[in-house]
Parts: sequence; structure tokens; C-alpha cells
Amino acid sequence: MPFTRRTLLAAASTAALLIQPIAAAAQELPRNVRMVIGSTSTGGDTYQNSAIVADALAEHLGINIKVDAVGATEAFKALGRDSRGTTLMIFHDQSYLGNLYGVTGYDNPFEEYTVGQTVAINPGNAYLVSCDSPYQSMDDILSAAESGERVRVAIQPGGVSEIGFSAMKNAASVRAPGSEENIVAVNTGSQSDKNQAMWDDLADVINGSIQANEQFTQLPQDDQKCMRFVWITARAETLAQAPAEGMGDTTRDELLQYASPETSVTLDGEEDFTFDKEFFFLYNPEMDPAIIEQIDTALTEIYEAGEIQERQKASFFIPNFLPAEDARQHLMDKRDTYSEVIEQISGDS
Amino acid sequence: MEFLSLITPLFLALVVGGTFVGIIFGAIPGMTATMAVAVCLPLTYSLGLENGLALLLGLYVGGISGGLVPAVLLGIPGTPSSITTTFDGYPMAQRGEGEKALRIGITSSFVGGTISLFALYFFAPTLADFAIEFSYVEKFLIILFALTVMAALSKDMLMGIFSGFLGIFIALIGTYDISDGGNGNLRLVPPGTEYWLDSGFSLLPVLIGLFGLAAILDEAELGVPKGQSREDVKIGSGSTFSFSVFKGQAVNLIRSSGIGTFVGILPGVGGSAASILAYSNAKTFSKTPETFGTGEPAGLMASESGNNGLTGGALVPLLSLGIPGDSTTALLIGAFTLQGIQVGPLFIGNNPETWNAMIFAMLIANVAMFAMMYVAIRYFALVVTIPKHVLFPIILMMCVIGAYTINYGIMFDVWTLLIFGLFGWVAVKLGLEVAPFIIGFILGPSAEIYFVKSLESFGDLTIFFTKSWIAAVLWVLIIGSLIASVYMSKRQRKLETRSS
Repeated sequence: MPFTRRTLLAAASTAALLIQPIAAAAQELPRNVRMVIGSTSTGGDTYQNSAIVADALAEHLGINIKVDAVGATEAFKALGRDSRGTTLMIFHDQSYLGNLYGVTGYDNPFEEYTVGQTVAINPGNAYLVSCDSPYQSMDDILSAAESGERVRVAIQPGGVSEIGFSAMKNAASVRAPGSEENIVAVNTGSQSDKNQAMWDDLADVINGSIQANEQFTQLPQDDQKCMRFVWITARAETLAQAPAEGMGDTTRDELLQYASPETSVTLDGEEDFTFDKEFFFLYNPEMDPAIIEQIDTALTEIYEAGEIQERQKASFFIPNFLPAEDARQHLMDKRDTYSEVIEQISGDS
Repeated sequence: MEFLSLITPLFLALVVGGTFVGIIFGAIPGMTATMAVAVCLPLTYSLGLENGLALLLGLYVGGISGGLVPAVLLGIPGTPSSITTTFDGYPMAQRGEGEKALRIGITSSFVGGTISLFALYFFAPTLADFAIEFSYVEKFLIILFALTVMAALSKDMLMGIFSGFLGIFIALIGTYDISDGGNGNLRLVPPGTEYWLDSGFSLLPVLIGLFGLAAILDEAELGVPKGQSREDVKIGSGSTFSFSVFKGQAVNLIRSSGIGTFVGILPGVGGSAASILAYSNAKTFSKTPETFGTGEPAGLMASESGNNGLTGGALVPLLSLGIPGDSTTALLIGAFTLQGIQVGPLFIGNNPETWNAMIFAMLIANVAMFAMMYVAIRYFALVVTIPKHVLFPIILMMCVIGAYTINYGIMFDVWTLLIFGLFGWVAVKLGLEVAPFIIGFILGPSAEIYFVKSLESFGDLTIFFTKSWIAAVLWVLIIGSLIASVYMSKRQRKLETRSS
């Protein structure tokens, strides 16, 4: 058969037609995936939780996933550069709280990125006082503010650490308008800085976590480092899913004493304010949705198998898998609630 | 002695293997102990806690120690804490005493590591209690004390101090990070460069640019010289190293190891300050301070015992308070959290087996480091016999890889390396001094944070003088250091006038 130009064109067209379904076929996660996280610490809860999820996902899909603790700014940049699915991100509520608090480098994640599956909750967000503090409870703290006493709270501004502080101010405002002015922030950095602020008597209350601070609550009363929990922001239903033995020498039931409804920090005079620190996926907005579906399916199967929940619970995480669509709606609703609290405080102060 | 059941052949193999890999990481310009630990951290999942820690502690000790090899042989600090090692180690190598300098460095590292391990084992909770006496004010004064070394290291005091302040200024470019307690705002960033400069310039690319690339450019300017011969580096029987070089240096070694350990226990002060302070003190107390910077073994001993003294010290706040003492121990804490174990004030008491196993791993790692490096010195030293037109491209490639990987693949870090390489090359021609510049660059951000936080917390400047007895002692040291620097500078000038 002579190879004319027409024959070659026909062959090329046929080949193109045959290739088309392959090209149009849904993209999948590549063989090597980089999972960036919004924290630079490999000792923190974001790395720990991401490592558990990455490990399970990599094993299930037969791919390699490397968790890189690059921090929020670099993680968002890396995610923004890559729409092929080679870079995924896991972070927590800080990603939208940073935006609500106007922190540099935090865009609205619901507009600039695709928010994906939730995977777990860390129920550990807590507030503590020194053992020699006159404040025994949140009620004491709010009463002190009401009576004109200045209460200094050590936080890291612009995120998860600040949302509880905003809630405290909000509760003070609901209880006695104007008293919220007496609850003041001491801006610190890491957990170490917050602890040090308490030991230096620069703060009356510090933000911390069950995981990082529980051992300090077990020290003798006369130890300068001794601390007491006064508030755990997690919902009681969330905390109730933690292992009964709790954390360290503090049982789950003891921890529940510091969470709503036993410890009340009101949202509006009727409902209590609660905050669960949730971890979720973030994707490049131009990434093929088929990859999100692939991760949806894989995670559904992984969570159905049940092994990952054991690992998460052993590390004091509460498993909380929601497929991408449901998770997005849930997180948007949550964002709206906290947006109101922050607006309320901004308006008051 | 129940912990002995944890000391299996696998445990020992992981400590020794980790130390070996750590030395390799430390010895390659641009690679650090922190990178070695970061790369191997996920392995601890499958190894279990004690075995995982054995590997990571070996990497830590090996990585810190390995940094002395490029510092001595190439004048490029393998790690930020090896900067002061280049001051005397490299001149010794240049005059053909590379092997001797390495042996002094290794022995000093071993002494520093062992003394700090001793302090960790016997005094960890007490030292941790002492560490929390240091608030923002005292930490700022320690950094200020370390900054006074800029004056001591300057050839021309005025230019040296100017270079140091320039280093501080450039270090402050970027975001005043909220994770440091800042306001999250950008400062000193030229318009249009926000995307690249929002996190400022990373330390390691700046360091290897200034010390590595700038040196290569200097050499390139001279043409293509030959490598040194084996005779020049005195390999084998021609070596002049003897342990007698340590005669009269016991105080220097113990003081420098103590300084390293002490700086290690203070979270946030930073590992580089350990060797800088140790070196500065050795120079101040020396009868011949003018020999420092020209290949003085006492300077090398101070630097290496100081930076290895850090290894035990940095574990004190980690294991007694759950707070990492430096960037590498911040990664080590990941090994605990990945296993679901919380470190805090009760860790040592609640986990005696793990605690003893860690101490044993550190001891083995120090011995293994000493043995491996002592034996391997003659092979390390051969690097200077490689023709420079072959060696330099390899070094440059390693520097670029190191810069690219330090923050998990950021291309701007490679540009930083190139920018500061060119800057270092030009700066010397302009009379600027690189050593004070880099010390200012390293310590500047901590100085700023602690200064601002002190004022935010306590209100006014008088707090720096009235806060505590520790602050008063630190002021005495700062003033003493400044007086000594001025005195040494005058004496140096007199000696130069007399000799000319």
C-alpha cells in the first residue's frame, strides 16, 4: 500500500481518536507525592496526624507520600504552584482562622484552594493557669474580669490559639458588657514561650494543649512549673470519643470536667462556645477533581477497614473522616460561626 | 539496669550506623545534622521508640561532629555551629596541618560531648529548673554577650562592627513571624520581592554562600592552582599531632564544654551561639589572644568542645520540659510524638528505661564518632590533595543541593546561595568583614525577638539592668568582653607597629 499524505493523515486521525479516551481518562495521584503541612514542627500534632494519614494512604494506593513540614506560607505557595496532584496539603482550622484574623499570607482557603476531606480532630486545645493562681475555673476568670481585674492570657495571635481567647472575651461581654476589656492578650510564640510567660508571671492564663501540658498538671503544687487546666475547648461529644484512660495520668472523665457543659464559656448566653481543631486536606484549585475522588474513595476504604482509627486514637486524635463535599460544607459552616465571634469581639473592642 | 534488655545488637548497629551517616551529612558542605535527622525521622515508625532514638541520636552526634571536616579542610562550616572552627582550623590546614587540626577537633568534640552527656544524666531536672529562670530579658543579654564577639573577631574594629550590624539588618528582612510572637507583618522587603522574601534569607544558604562560594570565586580569580601534596597535609608518620597539644588546655576545654551545655539548655538561644561564646571566651582568657584566627589550636578546641557540648545540653529542656533546645532536637521530639509518647517534666521519672537507653546511645555515639573519625582522618585529609578545578565544582554542586534541600525544595534558597556568594566575594574587596557579618546575621533575629518581647512584657529599658541577679552577671560579662576586645585590638596594633 503506497503511503500517501492522505493515508498518513488518516492514520494520524485514527491514532488521535484512539488516544483520546486515554487522554481524557481521569488523572490519578502520581507515584511520588509530596504532602506539605502548615507547620514547621515535626513534633506537633499536624505532622503526627499527617504522617498517620500519609502512611495509610500510601500503603492503600501503593504510592510514596513524603510529609514535609514547611510551614503555612511555604505550604500554600507549594500547593499553588502544582496542579498535577504531586503536592497535597494537610492543615487545620488555622488555614481559615488566619484569614479571618487578617494574618499576612493567609488567603481565604475556600476561594483560593479546594478544601477537601477532614481526617481527624485534636481535642486537646486547652487553657491553663498556674497551680498557685487564685483562679480555679473559667467562672473565676470571668468574674475577675467583671470585677475590674486584668486577666492576661498568653496566646499566639491569629489562629487556633486566639479563637479561645476571642471566645473568652465574648463570654465576658455577654456576662457583663465592658468586662471583656479586662481580658487582655499577651502575644507569644511557641508553647515554650507561653509556658515561660506563666513562669515569669507575665500571664495569668496560657493557651496550651492536653498533650503538651498534661505532665505539668501532675507536678507537686509547690513546683514553680505546676499548672492546672481551666478550660478545654473541644465539644464534649468529641472528647468522649477519646480513650477512657485519657492522657498521661488524667483520665477522660477528668478531662471532661474542663469541657462544655461542665465548664461553660458562653457563646450567646444560651449555648456554649466550643472548638474542635480539625485536620483536613487542601488542594490546588486547578487539580483534576478525579484525584480528589480517588482520595475520597481510598480514605473511605481505609476508614472502613478501621485500622487507622486505632492509630489515631492511640495518638489522642479523634477520627473524623468526611468525604470532600461534606467536609467542605461542614468547614464553611464552622468558619461562619467563628467569623461571627471574631466580628462580635472586633465590634466590641 | 532493666534498660540493658533494650540494648540489642540492632540498637548498637543503629547508633553506630547513625553516627556514620551523621558524620557524612555533617562533612558535606550544605548538609547538616538537622537534615540527617529529618530524612530518617519517618524510619522511627517501624523501628520502635528506643531503636528509633538510637538511630536519631547517632545522627545528631555524628552530624554535629562531622561539620568540623569541611570547616577545617575547606574553610566552609559544615553546620552553622562550626563557623568558629573555620577561624583557626582552616589556617592550620592551609599551612599543612589539616590532619593535626582534625585530630584536635575530634578530640575536643569528644570531650565536649562527654561532659555535656554527664551534665544531662546527673543534672537534667536541676538544669531545666535553672533554665526557666531565663526570661526574655536574660536571653536577650546572652545574645548581646555573644554579639560582643563581633568586636573581638574584627581585624578593623569599626568595619567589623559595621559588618556585624549589616548582618543583623539583613537578617531582619522578611515577616516578623507570629510563631515568634511577632505581628505577622513584612518589614524591610523591597516592593515586588514579597513572594521570595516573605520568609527572609535562610541561614544555611547565606552561610555556605559566604564561606563556600565566595572562597571558590576568590580561588577562581587566582587561576587554577594545584592541589596540595600528601606531604603538605602531613598524612601518616609525618603528622605532628600529639595529645600533648592539650597540655594546659583543660580549663579551656571544660569551660567551652560548659558554655556549650549551658547554651543548649536555653531554648531559643540557638546552637551557633554556643561555639561563638566558647570561642570568644577562649580568646579573652588566652595569654596570646592575637594568635586566634591564625591557626591557634586553643581556638579550635574551644569551638569544637563548645558545639558538641550543645548535644547533651539541648536534650535537657527536651526531656525535662518537653521543649526542644535547638533545631535538631525539635526534630527529635517527632520521634516521641510519632510513637504517641509525650515528653515533659515527668518523662524521665516515668520512662527510666528509655531515658537510660538514650544516655547509653549518646555515649556509644560519642565513642563511635571519636573512633570512626580518628581512623578516617587520613582519608578525609586527602580531600585537599584533589586538584581544585576538580574539587570546587563538586563542592559547588553539594552547596547547591544543600541549599535547595534545607527547606524542602525552595529554589529561592539557591538564589540566596549565589547572591551571598557574590556578596562575600565583593565584601572582602570593600573592606567588610565576613565573620562579624555572619555572627550578626545568625544572632540578629533572636536579639530582636527577645528585645521587643522584653519591652512588651516589662515596659521600659531599665528592666535590662534590674530584672535579676542573672542580668547583672551578664552585664558584667558583656562589659568585660567589650573591654577585653578594645584592649586586644590596641595590643594587636602595638605589636603590628613594633614588627613593622
